[in-house]
Amino acid sequence: MHVNGNGNDASRTVEFVYKYKDYEQKDCVARLDIKFPFDDEDLEELVTQLLSQMDPMMRLLDENINLEKELQSFVDREHQLFLDDHAEKLLNQLANEEIDLEAIVRDTERWYKDELLQFADRVGPSDEDIFAQSFHRLVHSSSLEEILKRERAYAKVIGDMTEHMDSEVETLNNSQQQEMDSQINQLDITTTSEDINNLLAQQYTTQNFVRKRYESELEAMMGHQKNEYRDWITSQVGQIYQVSPVSTPLGNRSSMFVSQQPSMEESFTIHLGSQLKHMHNIRILSANVTELCSPLHAEESLNGLNMALGLYSSSLCGVVVLTPSIQAQANKNIIKNANKSTEFHFEQMDAQLEKIEKQIRALDTNTDTTSSGSGSGSSMEGSVEGSAEGGSAQSSPIKRHVPRLKTGDFFVTKHSNLSQSHVIFHLISDEPINSPSEINSRHPVILGLRNILKTASRHDITTLTIPALLRHEMSEDMTVQWCIRRAELVFKCAKGFMIESASWGGAELSTLQLLLPDDISESLFTTLAGMVPNVFRVANPKILVDNNNKL
Amino acid sequence: MASSKKVETRLCAVTFFAKVHPGDVCGSNGLPLTPNSIAILGRAQRLKELKDEHLCQYLDVIRDKHERTIVVSEYLGCSLEDHIQRSSGHHLEINEILRIFYQVAGGLNVLVKHKLVVHNLEPKHILMESDGSRIKLFNYGLHHMTKGGAYVPFPIGNIRYMSPERLMGQNGNIKSDVWSLAMIMVELIFHIELWPKLKISNVARKILALGRSNNVIEKLAREHQCYEAYLAMDKDLRDLLDRCLSVLPKQRPLPQEVMQHSCFQSVVESLARKEPKPDDGKPKPLLLHCPLSQIYHLWQLAGGDVQAELKKEGLIRSEAPILGLPQIVRLNGSSVCPKRSQSHLMDDRVVPLKLQPLIQRLSRLPAHIYFPLLHSPRFAPLQQQFASELQQLPLIIRERDIEYQFHRVRLFATLLQGYPHTAELLQREASVDIPPLLRGPVWAALLDVLPNCSYTKIDKFTATSTDRQIEVDIPRCHQYDELLSSPDGHRKLKRLLKAWVTAHPQYVYWQGLDSLTAPFLYLNFNNEELAFLSLFKFIPKYLQWFFLKDNSAIIKEYLSKFSQLTAFHEPLLAQHLASISFIPELFAIPWFLTMFSHVFPLHKILHLWDKLMLGDSSYPLFIGIAILKQLKTTLLNSGFNECILLFSDLPDIVMENCVIESQKMYEATPKSITHRQHAVPQQPLHPLDIGIGDVQLKHLQTEQCPRISAKDVQHLLMHSSSELALIDLRGILEYSHVHVPHSINIPFATVQLGEQRLDALNVPQLEAQLRGRIVVCVSNIHQHAIEFSNFLVACGVLRTCILHKGFNVLHSIEPNILISN
Repeated sequence: MHVNGNGNDASRTVEFVYKYKDYEQKDCVARLDIKFPFDDEDLEELVTQLLSQMDPMMRLLDENINLEKELQSFVDREHQLFLDDHAEKLLNQLANEEIDLEAIVRDTERWYKDELLQFADRVGPSDEDIFAQSFHRLVHSSSLEEILKRERAYAKVIGDMTEHMDSEVETLNNSQQQEMDSQINQLDITTTSEDINNLLAQQYTTQNFVRKRYESELEAMMGHQKNEYRDWITSQVGQIYQVSPVSTPLGNRSSMFVSQQPSMEESFTIHLGSQLKHMHNIRILSANVTELCSPLHAEESLNGLNMALGLYSSSLCGVVVLTPSIQAQANKNIIKNANKSTEFHFEQMDAQLEKIEKQIRALDTNTDTTSSGSGSGSSMEGSVEGSAEGGSAQSSPIKRHVPRLKTGDFFVTKHSNLSQSHVIFHLISDEPINSPSEINSRHPVILGLRNILKTASRHDITTLTIPALLRHEMSEDMTVQWCIRRAELVFKCAKGFMIESASWGGAELSTLQLLLPDDISESLFTTLAGMVPNVFRVANPKILVDNNNKL
Repeated sequence: MASSKKVETRLCAVTFFAKVHPGDVCGSNGLPLTPNSIAILGRAQRLKELKDEHLCQYLDVIRDKHERTIVVSEYLGCSLEDHIQRSSGHHLEINEILRIFYQVAGGLNVLVKHKLVVHNLEPKHILMESDGSRIKLFNYGLHHMTKGGAYVPFPIGNIRYMSPERLMGQNGNIKSDVWSLAMIMVELIFHIELWPKLKISNVARKILALGRSNNVIEKLAREHQCYEAYLAMDKDLRDLLDRCLSVLPKQRPLPQEVMQHSCFQSVVESLARKEPKPDDGKPKPLLLHCPLSQIYHLWQLAGGDVQAELKKEGLIRSEAPILGLPQIVRLNGSSVCPKRSQSHLMDDRVVPLKLQPLIQRLSRLPAHIYFPLLHSPRFAPLQQQFASELQQLPLIIRERDIEYQFHRVRLFATLLQGYPHTAELLQREASVDIPPLLRGPVWAALLDVLPNCSYTKIDKFTATSTDRQIEVDIPRCHQYDELLSSPDGHRKLKRLLKAWVTAHPQYVYWQGLDSLTAPFLYLNFNNEELAFLSLFKFIPKYLQWFFLKDNSAIIKEYLSKFSQLTAFHEPLLAQHLASISFIPELFAIPWFLTMFSHVFPLHKILHLWDKLMLGDSSYPLFIGIAILKQLKTTLLNSGFNECILLFSDLPDIVMENCVIESQKMYEATPKSITHRQHAVPQQPLHPLDIGIGDVQLKHLQTEQCPRISAKDVQHLLMHSSSELALIDLRGILEYSHVHVPHSINIPFATVQLGEQRLDALNVPQLEAQLRGRIVVCVSNIHQHAIEFSNFLVACGVLRTCILHKGFNVLHSIEPNILISN
């Protein structure tokens, strides 16, 4: 046997020579090149290969037993030899200092520190984390009611303030309007156009001043509320801990109470999967997307309870909202709703959006240099805050390359003060209004939808609402035919993704809501709702008949 | 000491995360990559088979949400690390150290034989029984199950005991473990801890420096201020350690060579003597004499929840998922996430699983449940007394009842030990139920499998023309199951399929064979031979000739028989299906070709086949009817299109009812009714049986009702005449001349079959006379019997059949059953 010194030290090939006597007692030889390092699972295959060189009779003569034995010991010996040689080569490099030792030391240290808890620089749980746990514990205790009461009271204060602001601004507006009207009437009599211009400027400043004053007041109040609230929660949890341990386990399912009755709605239970069937709920409804993100404490509703219970659980609610690609712009009405009360758990929506804006900039400069898509989850840590100066969301459009997300990308905001969603996925879609186009299943928006389902699965979002037509409003030229085609595409893709999601190893989507625009006609709604049971196979009712009563 | 009285921890769990595949990548076959946690699960199965006195047995690998893997294994006493910490100041004696040294080397040696390396050998993973007499390696399979660490993000092994070549990137050399072992021994002998205060980077530097030194031990001794102890060391031992710590692996001994070293002579002797353990007066609980795999199974049934135990210890931290959400996700899958939380890091703590409640719960069971004596005369009544009450309960409840399962598991384990001599008893007990833990071997026993090493001789590798189809089918076969979707599962399934094809040159690979093989592989994942032989026996028993290249004749006959039996048991349904031309060819071929394994998930197939294994080749037909029966209301209200749609994706079937129904029908059907010429005859043919070539396919296809043999009629007449209604279609004259007692004479010539009502026959109380009985139409003119039986089916009369060969055959029955006036 000889060694093929093929230069490559990661593997080498050695020839195995097997001498045997065939059924006529003639000396025979079988040979095979075997590659090292060796995977033990291949042994039987090699035996087969060697046997196939022999007369078929030899298999019947049990030659395979002896052959396997010899091959095994050959492989064991050569495998060990290969490893030892390989090690020797490495150690020689070490002795001759041919390799960068410091690199090894550095990499090893980083690896151990990054991945093993034992060696990691321990960071305690973050404040967010502690607060989340405290809140979750508290919310599952008798204090729930008090929490909600407080939240409502806080929301009322903010609500009153905004109302106050609105009314004052309006009164101001009216009075200014009157003043202006009277001035205009007097134009060229007692006043000049210059006077009017001056007045306009003055009015503007006053209004601005009033608005600013209220806004800063609001901001201060929200900050104050948030602090007070969080302190209170933390203080409560200490007490509750002494009284009773956690009463309900994590992950209770928050059911969805729909407080604002959507105009039309239909629900189905479906089974997906070819052999093993998973059960999901499908609800098709027509509503304005902002209704799903309405202020939580606006009216007396049971939803506050549900949202609070679900907030830190592993059954979150998410909504997909389409947004054009002009920077990190969210739906204006949703921002307004989110600002109706203090966001106690996360940053106020504006701040979240601002941060995301910054990250988009950082991201864009990053993706230009580094290869994109190098990995999910950890490719770009949250620390890449970007060196871009803290430009506000309203900064004027820059002429040169504007960093922005593209169709199919999405950004995520988190909420505790909206009625039916903890998480909003802002999916970028640039479909022009008033000219419905045709898309296929490989369209970026659809792929973005898939990414959303994947993210949902990874982060325990078990109720998800998606716009079934990938549009939030009806328009003139969205024909019935177009709507049917579009809905069918979305339904089918959603179904495919849901089947696929079974293998993602995350949380299972328990409810998928298909959202249709609220201005959809009743007949079209019925048509589209009728498609659901055809696309998703609706579970047959199980009828259990007692077979024993047949006497 | 109070602590020693406690029953030692015998089970424990560790957990870690698998590496997440970056973004959306596909494998070479265009399908999405298998998650690493599934690959780990598949690889780890092999470890469960390792049983050695120096290795902790692996019991279970669980895949949790979000790529978490939990490994359950045996645990023993305390770890060497704990032992040293606990007895600080009190050092181990040199012969105790040698004992440890020798036994660990013994453990390594077993692993070498199985082509495994440890690579995470450290005092934490060396367990010792409380009296220090027995040593077991723990967590030694991490390297193997993670494919040398490729499936996990973290490094494997404690850096302090790592050999220089491993630090430089070599992976998989057992000699690196020999180094680690020697390093641990150096620590013990010198009573030191290696580099206790150094940072990782400096430890790494030290090890690399050792890689360039000539005398590792001396260097270590000097560094740790124990040069004197080094000099005072036993020369033999020093020699051994010197060799184990040779820089070049080539010069290090293999574990086996370590064990043969002369310094272990006294150890070997003392181990061989094996003094009986000092009896502390308390006998070990009986349960601990049972195999650990059974104990773990029972622990789970008793409400043991590994996840909950880990959570309690803080190893599974319930972090709010909302906090980890990404802020931006781009189309290509890249994302901006908040910083990874530390709860995803590798935490190597070991969580004990408490056995005490289980032991207590089972302690009041009598000893004969623990160790059933099959041949004692009191065996049957004792068993009866214990289990009969529970056996009234539904199967699902029985399978979760811990005492009952314990009883069944112990009983079947004993029966399997005695197999094949206990085959008959095993069959009897299996007809009650089969304990899930032992289902694989029990099925094999029911199929008369006797392992004979023939599997290794079959060529499973040479390329054949069916390879392509097999490659396509495997990634689509029961992939919701973690075992079957793992790369190891795919490899095994491929080998099994190829072996089956090679072993049957007369047959071809029909799509569906993969589904048929899946349950056997699932149950015997670590025993391919048993899986193969079970399949090997299963196919001729239930699917004889189905895998011929041209199997149309067999399938046609089978489906015609299915139609006949449907008419026999469900006349109205059969009538309806026939009227809308919804023939079995349209839906039932995959049912029967795969014995339903293509249409149901594994957990349902298992219960279905539990019963199937006990029946003969006709049993599947009744399962088919039971399924139709369950969907009866829907089917009766559906037209052709709805039926096609309904069966294109079979709705959820309640398996328990299906099993009970099919069994009822199976038992209520005389054997000859199910006669097929392609079935393997169970017994030699009797002259009164239906002969092999008697019933051709064309007969089957034209006759709506099945034929019954004279033998079965005779049997019914003699033993249960109340279940038989014989309708004699001959003329009144012939009837009065000679007839079967209690038979009903309806001369065919006089009846009008136009109206499909029984009343139209003008036979008083005919319906009452037929109800609940097997209705046999007898005539001398076969066509009459066919037409009349069709009429009865149309009237919805249950269990109508035709006497094969007509009235005249009754004359030949001895002793005579006919009476004549």
